[in-house]
Amino acid sequence: MRNSARVWARASLAFMLALPGVAAANADLEKQIADPRNWAMQAGDMYNQRYSKLHQINKGNVGKMQVAWLFSTGVLRGHEGSPLVVNGMMYIHTPFPNKIFAIDLDTQKIKWRYEPKQDVAVIAQMCCDTVYRGLAYAENKIFLQQADSNLLALDAGTGKVLWSVKNGDPKLGAVNTNAPHIFKDKVITGISGGEWGVRGFLAAYDINTGKQVWKAYSTGPDAEMLVDPNTTMTWTDGSLKPVGVDSSLKTWKGDQWKLGGGTTWGWYSYDKSLNLVYYGTGNPSTWNPAQRPGDNRWSMTIFARDLDTGMAKWAYQMTPFDEWDFDGVNEMILADINVKGKPTKALVHFDRNGFGYTLDRTNGALLVAEKYDPKVNWATHVDMKTGRPQVVSQYSTAQNGPDKNTKGVCPAALGSKDEQPAAFNPRNGRFYIPTNHVCMDYEPFKIDYTAGQPYVGATLSMFPPAGEKHMGNLVAWDAGTGKIVQSKQEKFSVWSGVLVTAGDIACYGTLEGYLKCVDANDINKDLFKFKTPSGIIGNVFTYEHKGKQYLGVFSGIGGWAGIGMAAGLEKDQDGLGAVGGYKELKDYTELGGSLTVFALPN
Amino acid sequence: MKHDNVAARVAGGALLLAALLATFHAAAKDSEPSKAQDRIYTVVEGYKVDANTMNGFRAWRAAACDRCHGASQQGLVGPSLLESFKSLSRENFVKTVTEGRLDKGMPSFSTSPMVMENKDGLYAYLKGRSNGDITRAKVEELK
Repeated sequence: MRNSARVWARASLAFMLALPGVAAANADLEKQIADPRNWAMQAGDMYNQRYSKLHQINKGNVGKMQVAWLFSTGVLRGHEGSPLVVNGMMYIHTPFPNKIFAIDLDTQKIKWRYEPKQDVAVIAQMCCDTVYRGLAYAENKIFLQQADSNLLALDAGTGKVLWSVKNGDPKLGAVNTNAPHIFKDKVITGISGGEWGVRGFLAAYDINTGKQVWKAYSTGPDAEMLVDPNTTMTWTDGSLKPVGVDSSLKTWKGDQWKLGGGTTWGWYSYDKSLNLVYYGTGNPSTWNPAQRPGDNRWSMTIFARDLDTGMAKWAYQMTPFDEWDFDGVNEMILADINVKGKPTKALVHFDRNGFGYTLDRTNGALLVAEKYDPKVNWATHVDMKTGRPQVVSQYSTAQNGPDKNTKGVCPAALGSKDEQPAAFNPRNGRFYIPTNHVCMDYEPFKIDYTAGQPYVGATLSMFPPAGEKHMGNLVAWDAGTGKIVQSKQEKFSVWSGVLVTAGDIACYGTLEGYLKCVDANDINKDLFKFKTPSGIIGNVFTYEHKGKQYLGVFSGIGGWAGIGMAAGLEKDQDGLGAVGGYKELKDYTELGGSLTVFALPN
Repeated sequence: MKHDNVAARVAGGALLLAALLATFHAAAKDSEPSKAQDRIYTVVEGYKVDANTMNGFRAWRAAACDRCHGASQQGLVGPSLLESFKSLSRENFVKTVTEGRLDKGMPSFSTSPMVMENKDGLYAYLKGRSNGDITRAKVEELK
């Protein structure tokens, strides 16, 4: 199988090399993105904006939307991400076993399907359900990042495998849940396994051959991180300074950096004019801070890297010496906005740690860092000169120490926001953040590393903030000032990527299973609500086919959202029979993956 | 042994002691008299447990079982062990942690010394939780 695929890949490569113009590898994808009828990338574009220019469905008529068609994926577990739509074809992915369905939108017939053969042992190596956040498209190829870390390119017309490359060792917990991203002639992918002592990295592969072009670790020696001590910059005492020699090694005790985490399973973005790719790194391992004194660089960091070489242009560590599992992997949204009155090429990021950051994406200067949930209590604020959060002792799991339960930390480990991506509306300059409104008790304990075994080292329980019952908010945010414009309560975490459109609507899913659309200029104004077959942790997307706009979302409860709910409200003192949030979620929904597609009536 | 120590320390008399202390016998059935060597855990006040059971709790934490089964064993992505242990035999428990139930997402812990060396204690801890004798997930060692 593999061999024939390789031969085929070589043949097709030879064929493609014979064609002129193939070198401009992202020209095709750029063209597809520019056509708003497509949804050719997971966020709709390379800036992670999740904005569509389509406006047939708009704030005046969205209330009349009806279900146009449905599709069952045949898979039960958590469905994150969204399908892609390119030139009249829809490409649907599933959680493990990572099936693909290519659907002809003219006939709604399955043109081809693909189901990888993966070792079922991988399921157990995935920390937070068997989620997968989606496919990528470019140059008539579909890119699949399997759970077992194999990265594949398939012919978009036939489903034939063109090449396949192994990205990590799943037996050591190095698995994948992220969507691959195509920028220029490269497939960018990361790695999961921060709870298995995996040393995180970002890797670039050639889209035509699958050959690895570069690999940049999050921790360790400068050369392995593709960090230049003299030219890689970081925010230091109010200005940008070189990171210096051994910027990571100096911040770890002994060899702990080798098990240091800093995994990279989020969404990546790309600015063509700067040729920089942006992403965040995850938690340092273990979750017991006592075992890793130091800042643990460059875990919990926003990186900007040269797409061609992988060299880091700048890095900014949001949460030095993490004590709460506040992974920094959430998406970096690139937007040209006014920041404190000044037009800025900005990078906007809503971190798990509860702070919304705005940086100058050209150089990494820190411009804004403010709480996007007022309940965030682990730090009073971010010192804008040093860029460091000011940790509150009461909520410091390191200061309280191992085998001590640190209570009432907000947010919980799943963050004020997790992987569920926010959206940017260029029409009013606002960001729409799907948030978790959840706090936790966190008790770290000493843990020994065993290869291929969990390496966590903390016990957590999660619950809504004191005195409150709702566990989520949709937040409209001004990234230029760092202020909440509006906040709309939801009963459970909003674990669904928001879509905003030129029709002045913002749409998102809820864990109960509702697809909701609200007025983009007044998010407390509900315009549409429909109960899909299962809880929604997928991202809303839109496309146009034969002159008609469609809007769709995966449903299929699962992921850490479900776990978070489950972990919630069943604290020890509640006793064995306690009922909690998860039990309540069970009153609304059950497992089951499907796609629901909406349109206006004819 | 622990039983006796506790008896010595709890000065409240036999009735109070009986109310505070639960000892579970693995093979105990209504019709069979239990033997001392069948006793798999000792618990006082719902959370003070013998050394073996304590090691079982440590294995539970180290193996991060709570990620799937819940911090209170109530079940999350994985099943509730409070329920499962009502019917799970010791043999099946050992088989499950050793081999896993891979297609369901239960890993094999055969390479984890912490789990393999503390299987008895882990079984005792979870059985005690399921029986309702250990009334909170976090236990302490009985001294």
